[in-house]
Amino acid sequence: MSVETSPKSSDLERGMKMLEYLERGPWPSYVTELKKTKYPIEAYAEGLARKYTPWLSGSFRVRYVFSGILARRSRDGKFVEIHFRTYAPAGRFYSTSYLRKVVEVAKRYGIGLVELGGNTGALVMNMIAEKADEAVDAIRTIMGSDVGGSGDTFREFYACPGPALCEFALYDTLHAMDYVRSHPAVYRYLNTQMFPYKIKFKFSGCPMDCATANSRSDFALIGTWVGPPEVDQGLFRKMVEEGKINPKEIVDSCPSKAITWDEERKELRIDGSKCLKAMNCIRKAFPAIKPGRNRKIALLVGAHAQGHFGPKLARAVALLDSIEEVIPFAVELINKYMELAPRRHRIGDMIIRRGFKVISEVADKTLPNKPKGMPSTHLRVSIGAVLTDDERKLYEDWSKQLVNEYFGSSSGTR
Amino acid sequence: MGMSLTVTPEPRDRMNKRLPIPFSTQLPEIIRNNYGKWIDRRLHGNGIIEHISETGDKVFTVKVGLPPNSRVSIDTLEKFIEIADKYGLGVVRATRGMNLEFITDSLDKALKIKEEVEKLGFPVGGWGASLWHITSCTAYLTCTTAVVDAPSITQVLYNHLKPFFTGEEKLPAKLMIFVAGCPNVCGGTLAGDIVIVGHYGQAPRPDPERIKFCLPTSAEALKKAVPDVAAVCPVGAIKVFGKPDGSVGIEVDERKCIACSRCKNVCDYFDWDPSKIGVAIFVGGKTSNTGTGPRLPYKVIPWLPVNPPEYREIVAAVRKIIDIWRREANPGERLGDFIDRISIDEFMNKLGAPRTRHNRCEEISWNFGVRQFVTYM
Repeated sequence: MSVETSPKSSDLERGMKMLEYLERGPWPSYVTELKKTKYPIEAYAEGLARKYTPWLSGSFRVRYVFSGILARRSRDGKFVEIHFRTYAPAGRFYSTSYLRKVVEVAKRYGIGLVELGGNTGALVMNMIAEKADEAVDAIRTIMGSDVGGSGDTFREFYACPGPALCEFALYDTLHAMDYVRSHPAVYRYLNTQMFPYKIKFKFSGCPMDCATANSRSDFALIGTWVGPPEVDQGLFRKMVEEGKINPKEIVDSCPSKAITWDEERKELRIDGSKCLKAMNCIRKAFPAIKPGRNRKIALLVGAHAQGHFGPKLARAVALLDSIEEVIPFAVELINKYMELAPRRHRIGDMIIRRGFKVISEVADKTLPNKPKGMPSTHLRVSIGAVLTDDERKLYEDWSKQLVNEYFGSSSGTR
Repeated sequence: MGMSLTVTPEPRDRMNKRLPIPFSTQLPEIIRNNYGKWIDRRLHGNGIIEHISETGDKVFTVKVGLPPNSRVSIDTLEKFIEIADKYGLGVVRATRGMNLEFITDSLDKALKIKEEVEKLGFPVGGWGASLWHITSCTAYLTCTTAVVDAPSITQVLYNHLKPFFTGEEKLPAKLMIFVAGCPNVCGGTLAGDIVIVGHYGQAPRPDPERIKFCLPTSAEALKKAVPDVAAVCPVGAIKVFGKPDGSVGIEVDERKCIACSRCKNVCDYFDWDPSKIGVAIFVGGKTSNTGTGPRLPYKVIPWLPVNPPEYREIVAAVRKIIDIWRREANPGERLGDFIDRISIDEFMNKLGAPRTRHNRCEEISWNFGVRQFVTYM
């Protein structure tokens, strides 16, 4: 399985051999897909062999478009790579008629390559530089969408599928995403680069947080409820009698230790003051146990992976009753963010530098009378590290043992 | 680039972004009719979910694994469209984990979709107690700041871990893996079960020739503002100074540097030694409020060598982590919850990775996500 190359072979040759290896596995290969398109595979192969990214920022402009277009040129100057981030419909449901238009645009103006589920939430299309100007118009008129969501602006919004497919959705995440994205106060910034750094909104329908709002969004909106989950005792008893659920197991596995089972009366009691909304019992005994009726949208701010002071989790602001209530808060906070934060600082970094009072002041003003959270804090996490040669050797030796364990001792000679 | 051809009569119109048509028009009628009315779900194998509505309607979703970074050619996309039209409801959904869901209205059709995509070489699975996804950033495919190449690492991991996705081999609970090429962690989130992040392992060196493109031309300008390239450093390791001849010099203090690559984000002209780059592996993070709640992960392995295209060191480490978890976790216990139960020290003993100043992994109690509202709950 290992890749045989002579020491004389060039980086490109070694790289192309590596790509062949990456096409041979049981999982569908991205290299196979790339090779069906006009993607400059040579640049990528060379980079892989050198362990060095082949791309530098390119300078490329389409008139009146200030976000959503990213241009690269290779270090040797031979290749360019242009890709567009396009706004996706909420929940990323794509009808086939929409996708046919994506195909049409990608064929006429692109290199025939798309990234269906980009990490920002966008659908990413690789384009041809010479046709990029027309491609923007084609995306607007043919696809009925637009480029956007790169640079120091609102990145693409993301919502979990919510009520469209999920029984746990506690508010309408898809509507909420469309509402916020198209609200004039937000919409006006979509084509600008006015923020110190990016701003992300993510919408999750329940505390399980399928949109990863808790760890990836400056404004996290997560569905939750107040009080205990609702128990339909009759249905619960029936499910127990049918052997579908074991009440003892539900009691024991509750992370909040909030549940008791009355064996005599055959009743399940949940202490709302203890319940941490871990959804454990609900997932096990749905629909006999459901989220409580007093539903809220939890507003949290300041999470991100990429920022001045490293990755952070979201901090609690307030419990909202409807999505409309987030707008005045967001407008006020964004103004404050633009005024106070240095460049390349996210909202979470601003909180570290100035304290959580920057948020609570805005919240007191724009969200009076809303229940406020008790924001937690955590230590800084360092992702990278500068290692000494000894330390590197230590981990290298350990990894050799591991490789032996999993690939056999013959692998050491690679 | 001096282009004049355009189909918009007034290019200035582009200033007003055109938002996509409302999501509701993308949805098939059956979902529109049952919007918010779902009451139950049932799994058929690892890759098909039956959604049951209070109206009695049923919808089936089939989850299909895509190539790393969800890169597909138009050719493949057209085949998916055909399948979605023929056996589905004319709609697909791109998941957060970079896979694709087909939606249809009967189990027979769902199984037919499974058959058709498997014929094309795409696996079906990834729900329940299984490998949900390996999410990847774009890295060397397009990124200027990538240190290691995430899509190829993802490809190799998927090749090795495919049976966990399809359900042929069992896991205690769901597993989500994220692969990112640099400390910006675009490969999803840092709060994942297993997160592999590339980093320099060394302080970046300014490119002596070209660093000038990121610095002001004269020392005079430094009096007015600190250039971005120094301002973004969170530990103050980058010094910019005026030289006697009036030009601007730059220095990186290796003792202070934490290799976070912030400087690389604002300036392309930093250089590094490819033989010293590596990946850090984080374990036990979670964004969901289940179990012991959302938390950031522990850095259990601060550095592993990067050897494309097989990446054996990374594959072996990931398999070791999964093996420990599979062997000892209770059913339904995610990696983070498992580590909480046995303690991180115990987990580190089992893993056997050398412990240095970089992976002390101190025990922390977390109270994040909606749990911060506990006084009102």
